[in-house]
Amino acid sequence: MPGHGGGGRVSTAVEAPTVWDIAVDDAPVSLSARGDLVAVAGAEGTVRVLDAAMGAETVSLELPGGALSVRLAPDAGHLAATGPMGYALWRRTGGRTTVRESGAWSAAAAWADPERVAIASGRRALVLDTDGEELWRTDPAASTVTDLAWMRQGRRLAVAAYGAVHGHERHTPKPVVTYPYVGSHLALAVAPTGRWICSGNQDASIHIWRIRDAGDLTMSGYPEKISRLAFDDSGFWLAADGAPDITVWDFSGKGPEGTAPRSLRCHETITALAWRPGAGGHLASGGDDGTVALWYATAGRAQQRLRPARELTGDGAAVAALAWAGPHLLIAAYRNGRVRAYGVPSRAAL
Amino acid sequence: MTTTAESRDTRVPVTVLTGFLGSGKTTLLNRILTEHHGMRIAVIENEFGEVGIDDALVLDAEEEIFEMNNGCICCTVRGDLIRILGALMRRREKFDHILIETTGLADPAPVAQTFFMDDEIAAQLRLDAIVTLVDTAHVLQHLDEVKPEGVENEAVEQIAFADRVVLNKTDLADEETIGHVIRRVRAINSGVRVIPAQHARIDLQQVLDVGAFDLERVLADDPSFLTDTEHQHDATVTSVGIDLPGELDEDKLNPWLGTLLRTKGVDIFRSKGILAIAGAPKQYVFQGVHMLLDGEFGRDWRDGEERRNRLVFIGRNLDREELELGFAACLATAGAVA
Repeated sequence: MPGHGGGGRVSTAVEAPTVWDIAVDDAPVSLSARGDLVAVAGAEGTVRVLDAAMGAETVSLELPGGALSVRLAPDAGHLAATGPMGYALWRRTGGRTTVRESGAWSAAAAWADPERVAIASGRRALVLDTDGEELWRTDPAASTVTDLAWMRQGRRLAVAAYGAVHGHERHTPKPVVTYPYVGSHLALAVAPTGRWICSGNQDASIHIWRIRDAGDLTMSGYPEKISRLAFDDSGFWLAADGAPDITVWDFSGKGPEGTAPRSLRCHETITALAWRPGAGGHLASGGDDGTVALWYATAGRAQQRLRPARELTGDGAAVAALAWAGPHLLIAAYRNGRVRAYGVPSRAAL
Repeated sequence: MTTTAESRDTRVPVTVLTGFLGSGKTTLLNRILTEHHGMRIAVIENEFGEVGIDDALVLDAEEEIFEMNNGCICCTVRGDLIRILGALMRRREKFDHILIETTGLADPAPVAQTFFMDDEIAAQLRLDAIVTLVDTAHVLQHLDEVKPEGVENEAVEQIAFADRVVLNKTDLADEETIGHVIRRVRAINSGVRVIPAQHARIDLQQVLDVGAFDLERVLADDPSFLTDTEHQHDATVTSVGIDLPGELDEDKLNPWLGTLLRTKGVDIFRSKGILAIAGAPKQYVFQGVHMLLDGEFGRDWRDGEERRNRLVFIGRNLDREELELGFAACLATAGAVA
């Protein structure tokens, strides 16, 4: 049984200490935490950059037409925000903001390293430097690009759209590798081991390719579309939505083929998933009902149904996004505009 | 009588406006947006129009049709709508109504199927009605246009899918043409409500929040849906209405309806019905688009109310006799001594 249960069976509803708690004037849709910063993007296009320790606002910018996603660069020196009408870049030094109202749907951004960012723009992906100058771009995909992920230490860009995931490299607008699967790919996850690339699909399945030989596998039978997929830092575990239960697949060894996932039961509708940094198998999840659950997600056996180690109850507003600002601070953004940082002091326990 | 605490559908209603270029969609849209109805409306346009009203949010989209890997060959959804509606519903500002204006060449099926297939959308939005505008003086030539093998006549499809047909520009057509168009529309979609109009001037209550996809209201407001239309024997897209007293054996109905939609779903554009299931105190109400079917129990059968089954299929090459015989065989008393 997880936990140490010092005082016997008291209550499982031990509140994590709230380190800070602020309100933003928009409905949060995306969070990013890197270094000492946390960025929150709202549906109407307000992007706020907060100091992770205190929650104090350092800067805010507006993305006209709304926001869909925000991503801080790995060194927290820059930020990219994307939305239905374009994208914006922010530089910490000097505080310069560049807004591009391209009119194209920008679903996602992904940093290759502190100097280069890929931005989905309509049916293409653009790779930009930190000034927003275009380094290269991909040929158009079959539909609006839905998600991006870097492979091979930032040398290859995976682009998800309808019908396939394409791998692109610099100076080759045409894909260098194509992972075909008829259907709308909604979310991408690349294992940190470099062994697997997975997409979550509109047709309620997860499609998996082994990067070495493009050998593929489909996990179907989910009741709903898969919009959220995430590998932990070890690359051995993949968490996914698509059902009331979060499924956690074991990607160690030969991969998940022929295995059963662990099922994590807490929410009716999953709205956020975030692995705690490190290889401890600690996962945070958020639900439409406003609950944040903390899990020993890799405990037990395959096919086991797990219960949360802890639940953090908010004020009822749906969880919009979760992000870890280091291993000891979990940031939760709620649809009603609240953004809270919960302290998780012990590295070994939740 | 007291009102029972029925769970009210709080989902935001969505109206789909279809019709050929020149049928008056933009005029109707502008009318809807400028009339003082006090509603906050969001518009998704697939055709770059002239719409731009302060109080409304207007979003442009390019049609993206996605196949679903669910063994249902006609099952396609609109990726652009899933994406845009999803983002819209995450905003703080709440809309009272959403309008989707499709291009003149759009197939309404993927639009309707999006509301059946995507759980996130179905949880927050309900397809209220498909409203098709036609240019009265010119629609017949579109309906009669012979398409190459395997290519759909979009005008016919848009009539077949419609819950409301606005017969626009009647001032530019003579009585004979108007009569001809109405008969032709009914030959395709017998139950559809036809609203004659000039300059798209119509009572908005006839097209907004009408609940045409509301299972509780299916057919209830369309008493004419069984009007038998035999004027157009040559038409390939027609309606078959069935009205049969008695109660149905669920164990016969399910396989029959399932097989029918699985094998003929490509040709059956829409199906809807109110059925009496043996042993069930409530009416069973269903609504379908191609192979997708959504059904639930509706209101109680009233004391003394005759148990009967009313349903309609709208589609291509429908075999009326086969449908009638197949359905009649689902009666609980069929083949047994009563």
